[in-house]
Amino acid sequence: MSGGMAAARLAEERKAWRKDHPFGYVAKPEVEADGSTNIVKWHCKLPGKAGTLWEGGMFPLTLEFSHDYPTKPPRVKFPAGFYHPNVFPQGDVCLSILNPQKGWRPSITVKQILVGVQGLLDEPNIEDPANECYRDFKRNRPQYDKTVKLQTKRYAAD
Amino acid sequence: MGRDKTLSSGTAPPDTLHTAGSSQDVLAWPWAATGEELKQRVQDVKVLAVGAGGIGCELLKTLVMSGFKHIEVVDLDTIETSNLNRQFLFRKRHVGKSKALVAAEAVKQMRPDIDITAYQGNVNESRFDVDFFRRFDCVLNGLDNLEARRHINRLCLAAEVPLVESGTAGYLGQVSVHIKGRTECFECQPKPTSKTFPVCTLRNTPDKPIHCVVWAKEMLFPLLFGAPEASDLHEAPPAGSGIDAAAVTRNIADDPSCYQRAEGESSTHFAERMFRHLYCTKINELRNMEDLWRSRRPPQALDLDALRMPAYGDGGDQPAAIEAGVPATASSACKELGLSDAHSVWNDQQNAAVFLRAVALFLDGRSHELGSAQFDKDDLLAVELVTAAANLRATCFGISRQSLFETKGMAGNIIHAIATTNAIVSGLIVVEAMKLLARSFASCQTSFLQVSGSKRLVSRMSAPEPSAACMVCSTAQARLVLNANKMSLQQLVDKVLKGRLALIAPSLWCGTFSYEEGEGLEEDEITRNRKLLLLPLAQLPGGGVVHNSILHVDDQEQCFKAQLIITHREDWDDEQHPEGFYLGGDLPPALTEPSVEAAISETASPNEDVVSLTSDDDGVAAEAAARPVAKRKAIEGNTDSSKRPRT
Ligand SMILES: [Zn+2]
Repeated sequence: MSGGMAAARLAEERKAWRKDHPFGYVAKPEVEADGSTNIVKWHCKLPGKAGTLWEGGMFPLTLEFSHDYPTKPPRVKFPAGFYHPNVFPQGDVCLSILNPQKGWRPSITVKQILVGVQGLLDEPNIEDPANECYRDFKRNRPQYDKTVKLQTKRYAAD
Repeated sequence: MGRDKTLSSGTAPPDTLHTAGSSQDVLAWPWAATGEELKQRVQDVKVLAVGAGGIGCELLKTLVMSGFKHIEVVDLDTIETSNLNRQFLFRKRHVGKSKALVAAEAVKQMRPDIDITAYQGNVNESRFDVDFFRRFDCVLNGLDNLEARRHINRLCLAAEVPLVESGTAGYLGQVSVHIKGRTECFECQPKPTSKTFPVCTLRNTPDKPIHCVVWAKEMLFPLLFGAPEASDLHEAPPAGSGIDAAAVTRNIADDPSCYQRAEGESSTHFAERMFRHLYCTKINELRNMEDLWRSRRPPQALDLDALRMPAYGDGGDQPAAIEAGVPATASSACKELGLSDAHSVWNDQQNAAVFLRAVALFLDGRSHELGSAQFDKDDLLAVELVTAAANLRATCFGISRQSLFETKGMAGNIIHAIATTNAIVSGLIVVEAMKLLARSFASCQTSFLQVSGSKRLVSRMSAPEPSAACMVCSTAQARLVLNANKMSLQQLVDKVLKGRLALIAPSLWCGTFSYEEGEGLEEDEITRNRKLLLLPLAQLPGGGVVHNSILHVDDQEQCFKAQLIITHREDWDDEQHPEGFYLGGDLPPALTEPSVEAAISETASPNEDVVSLTSDDDGVAAEAAARPVAKRKAIEGNTDSSKRPRT
């Protein structure tokens, strides 16, 4: 990306994030092996909220921005196979503020996206399940809790 | 020959802008149009036409017939048969040749005294750099591609050359004028482009035909024939990412290999298995997520056995045509099944038959493509498969079905091009170009071609002023002359950014190179940045900061933003410029920073219902030209964002 709206906005987002971001969160543009920076792909880490099954985990998340950002939202993904009722098998997060036909507004910041996704971890949106694990959430809560805890351990902060 | 000095970039000193600065309108439009002066100017100036397709052919013809004599034209594409109905500079014998070259020859025949240069190339190539653009008095765009149009906009801003921009979509068209500092740039208003649909809608809750078409084209097709990892339906977690595999595979509803053909499995059997999986198993799975259907109608699974066409027999035998010896490389399932009318809408039985047959034909006849096939709107078998697959899904979800013709249009983002629209738009481009040449800037207009009953065919408004919040054109620019092979990043930071511009914690980026100082960086980032300081500018990552690079500069501690356009001088005169650089142009001083978040919310203009026009080239789609807010009206422009940039 040689410049333009998307890149300029991402530079602003980067500046804002460096100035101030929620404690424990990580968000930075991808750095290639040759030292170049890919400003349209950010690698992030979300801490699980204290007092929830997710506490103690640092959950990796990628944001992929297009040339049409911020008119269009970024694509937000956990690793494939991430266990959460609103995460598709390929890792895509289903969240209304990321839906261009619903809640997305060009003024939504990277910080707001990450805080929104962190909130979703412990409060899945059962109206919009993405996969079968929502059945555990509804019908077999012990199984659900156990799997989430295992996953949190897998992504434990070091 | 007396070329006009104020408009001729070739003779202008490096720091003189030939658009901004020359403020007084010398002649009032339209009187300027009749004067000898303009006539002479038109003959003397040099213009660049970008694109030699639908608009480009008309534009080149209109330019030479209006007296323009020095023209250059860029286009990457070659001529296709489907262009010939409206790109009238081309004939059948030209098919396969460069559009730019053939168009240039054709208009040269109309007016042998013109001087025209054609380039077959992509405007994104580095040879079309700021210096290339500086040579022109104005740039005229006839492009079908949003990314290329944005690129030209940025280059024209950097080169300070005025731009006349255009777009057409069917009967709709638009022409606008972009003069740095005077009128809005192409990116001042956001351009809504292709509609994208969230994965949730496509996978779980489609409610429009387009959702089914996109599912079939972008998810199912690559899963069956292309690179399955590229599909959002692909359900296998990549190796190594596994958490506690046993616990979490419950998330993975399928055996990952389910979309692969089993050892020894016949193509017909595979097609049937896919049918049952997609339209029965998966639909029932969705149906069982009852929360999804509280306020929606739950989908209905399809029963393959109830949908068999008689020709298939009971046991899923091959249709009669196959047994009669039609080769397995047959390119169309519809032909075999006698469904030749592209405008008719198939019933469920027919859709099922086309689906099964198309999958089998693809596997048998095109096995060499498996694993890498990509959807192409001109690939009949692929369109047949997508039509049938999308229609079957539509039936499950109670959505109306589409004909092959409609599906092809949706999947290929086709908007049918109209030669008359291109001709009118080209005429308007030349009118605006003449206003620019007459320096009648205040009379420059944005024009819209509209179709609405009694309304005027062409409506016009004064070219809007630049948006102060535009991140593309509101940034100050200056020219920085240096030796990029000698000057290190450290020297640039110390001497230019901190020394001359008084920055405290500079951030720099240029393409994929970035450098940051100041608070809020982690250890590894600080180390990486330190290493970069030692490198000469030309050797920085991402191709280096070299001649014509546009270096974006910011300050983490202050309010400052600028673009430095680099001019590389190998033979640097140390005595004349002992500092090792020369900075031309005025940059605003760095100020104490207000809140950055305020800056973002100000600049992120929430103009959601701006319009998008799609322009033609090939009858194929194109991309958006937006119109100012005053003229809002929703026109849907579906474009394929993955399309390669074209000239
Ligand atoms: Zn602008």
